[in-house]
Amino acid sequence: MKKDKKVNKAGLFSIKNFVLDFVRITAAPGMLWFRPKHIYENEAAKKRIKGAAIVIMNHVGMIDPMYLMLAIWYRRHRFVCKSDLMQSKLGGFWLRLFRCIPIDRENASFATMRQITDVLKEGNLVSMFPEGQVNTGSEMPAAFKSGMILMSVQSGAPIIPVYIKPRKHAYERIIAVIGEPFSVTEKYGPHPKFSQIDEAARYLHEKELKLMELINKPAERNEKNG
Amino acid sequence: MQMRREEIADKLKDILLSASDDPDVLDKCTEDAKLQTDLGLTSVNMLYTVIAIEETFDIRFDDVTVTSFDTFKDVINYIEKKLA
Repeated sequence: MKKDKKVNKAGLFSIKNFVLDFVRITAAPGMLWFRPKHIYENEAAKKRIKGAAIVIMNHVGMIDPMYLMLAIWYRRHRFVCKSDLMQSKLGGFWLRLFRCIPIDRENASFATMRQITDVLKEGNLVSMFPEGQVNTGSEMPAAFKSGMILMSVQSGAPIIPVYIKPRKHAYERIIAVIGEPFSVTEKYGPHPKFSQIDEAARYLHEKELKLMELINKPAERNEKNG
Repeated sequence: MQMRREEIADKLKDILLSASDDPDVLDKCTEDAKLQTDLGLTSVNMLYTVIAIEETFDIRFDDVTVTSFDTFKDVINYIEKKLA
């Protein structure tokens, strides 16, 4: 068995994260104004996310990464984005500064998968939109792709589902519903079968729909403003 | 000592058998079997299989993507080249 290569743990301060941290700090007053209303699935979901984790969210617009950064403001996010976005000079420049990880959705490379796993093993938060594209047609999240399950199996990081209610008006407050962390390896063991990988992706999609329904069921939810 | 082609194929079959739910997967694993159409592997299945191959053979799949391999033989050739 090959030994895992030595990984550098993500420190509190790092020049690589300068732009990301600078924006987070300078945007703090704005974040107070735009702070989302948090709804939690249960008590387990209320716990602060520590260490490596994969955060997944429904994808309704290009501004979704900002909403997710507002919802989980206390952690740096390494977003997985489609490689096409990196093609333009300006877009690629900013996405690299924000330390996004490009992935070719049609033809994923093994090196990209390894890069994401390494980022997780360093203790980072990797955020992604498992629908694979912006879902403009409906509030209902489309079926999830199962690549996130592989990343979770390889790194051991739990997956945290988040649902953010699409805003109809600019003055509406953002509502973020945070789900309970889901560990693929705890449920299926370290070597799940192909069918279990698909099953885990379907489970998380169903969970996302459940989080969406919680917005309309005040009796079942744990709320926290700000 | 370099691993023989048959040994590589056997180990690959073991990997597929342990991950697949198809009991007939071993019968389908001929050298010319197409990964997607004959063995029914999706891109995620292939990524997952590669993780297991890397661990089993102690090699790394660099500069290749899921579409780099069409048949079972392509995978054996790649592993053979890496082990040489």
